[in-house]
Amino acid sequence: MKAPLGWFVHARSGDKGGDANLGLWVAHDGVPTDTTAERYDARVAWLLDLVTPDFVRTLLPEAAALEVEVFALPNLGGVNVVLHGLLGQGVAASTRFDPQAKGLGEWARSRYVEIPEDLGGTP
Amino acid sequence: MTETRPLRIGNCSGFYGDRLSAMREMLEGGQGGQGGQSLDVLTGDYLAELTMLILGRDQLRDPALGYARTFVRQLEDCLGLALEQGVKIVSNAGGLNPAGLAARIGEIASPQGLSPKVAYVDGDDVRSAAFPGALTANAYLGGFGIAAALASGADVVVTGRVTDASLVVGPAVWWHGWSPTAYDELAGAVAAGHVLECGCQATGGNFSGFRLVPNPAQPLGFPLAEVSDDGSSVITKHEGTGGVVSLDTVTAQLMYEVQSTAYLGPDVTTRLDTIELSEDGPNRVRISGVRGVEPPGQLKVGVTVLGGHRNSVDFVLTGLDVEEKAAWVRAQLEAQLTAASVSWSLGSLPPPDADTEEGSSTVLRCTVQDPSPEPVGRAFSSAAVELALASYPGFTMTAPPGSGTPYGVYRAEYVDRSTVKQAVHHADGSCEVIP
Repeated sequence: MKAPLGWFVHARSGDKGGDANLGLWVAHDGVPTDTTAERYDARVAWLLDLVTPDFVRTLLPEAAALEVEVFALPNLGGVNVVLHGLLGQGVAASTRFDPQAKGLGEWARSRYVEIPEDLGGTP
Repeated sequence: MTETRPLRIGNCSGFYGDRLSAMREMLEGGQGGQGGQSLDVLTGDYLAELTMLILGRDQLRDPALGYARTFVRQLEDCLGLALEQGVKIVSNAGGLNPAGLAARIGEIASPQGLSPKVAYVDGDDVRSAAFPGALTANAYLGGFGIAAALASGADVVVTGRVTDASLVVGPAVWWHGWSPTAYDELAGAVAAGHVLECGCQATGGNFSGFRLVPNPAQPLGFPLAEVSDDGSSVITKHEGTGGVVSLDTVTAQLMYEVQSTAYLGPDVTTRLDTIELSEDGPNRVRISGVRGVEPPGQLKVGVTVLGGHRNSVDFVLTGLDVEEKAAWVRAQLEAQLTAASVSWSLGSLPPPDADTEEGSSTVLRCTVQDPSPEPVGRAFSSAAVELALASYPGFTMTAPPGSGTPYGVYRAEYVDRSTVKQAVHHADGSCEVIP
């Protein structure tokens, strides 16, 4: 089914100089509420497999031309993504709409992706 | 100090401008009754990358400044309470001028009849040594200077640029007596410090699971950690405060502002892929299993330079032909501008037949930058304002453009440790160099 990535994935984003940092991880206690331990594990495996640099560049077209790195953190149920140069010269110099990438994670969560039915829970 | 019980360490600031009342809340929240948990140390982080620029500009105007002035206001209110409770205060509010801040604390203490032992840590400023053209250049120091200050009996320790996590690492080193090669313990403290450093971001702030945060009108409590002598910790908050500490709020903060699976720091490289989280009761999350390895040979330096001057204006475009309206005002304004850089962004196009004026409108932003102030100052604002009756139908701006503001550019550099002479200036006037 097509659903927002944020259906069961949390995010936090921020800046380091001109790079944006984006953490994505599977919710432990969020919505939907039918999360079992087994389903949590399956969601983590799916997310770790899904998020590649190319996936990020497609999910966030503003990063299409950027170097993107993805670091798996299975112990935290997710990935850390670095989008190099998204913020230009850094917070004070950036003319970007969101120069500190505070909202980047919420934008990413609002993007629609194909989620396997057996992971999605009951909308 | 050979205590073995966990160090109870709180945070009352995640940035310069955070909730002013948080210092008092964290001290009072630990007083008996209501199951409150007393603190041993209260920390505050005031130094974002951007903050060094702000302090650098402050100091250009007045060399006696360069520290976080809100911290002084907080101490004016709370120093007596902290001393009475025996809670140590540790903060990087010294910014570019920790010596000046330490002196200022003495000035506010004596009228209250207080005589705290104030120590400060410096040596982070490597501008003259390595980056003479910069506005600011500060190495990110570790926690051992803070630990030495506390070991000598300081009640208040203020520093310049230390890593945010050092504010927890230093007190934990002091409390547990860890050696510089106790990498796993140090890495555990870094993890706890990284969770605490952004204040309410550990307790439900800026959290994508916000719908589960209880009682939306109650201010979020600030976080605290109980750091054990093996480096493991429990993240929690004072009982009865707002917000929530959960696996997800702690994960959120561990994922924040990291750039790899290895979190490089001056005291230890923390292996983020070894962190284990578990629930430890309501609003309590345990961090364990954290492994550390030897830190890099060089220290990171945050360098800021004055980049130039900038200004912007937001034009409101309403109704039909929004793109053509944008194109016209853009052509008109650009013909008048001399700024080195001019950039435009147009918001979402309004839907047809919108049933409110706001819904029928969007914003066109013009941002200008230039090495000198004039092209982005009056030359820019006047050019925009003079179009008011001479441009697209429905011309209005969200606000008249102001005078331009200077901006800085931040970059990370690296220096050998020998470039940096970290020193602790104890309350008795003696100075101790930290290797």
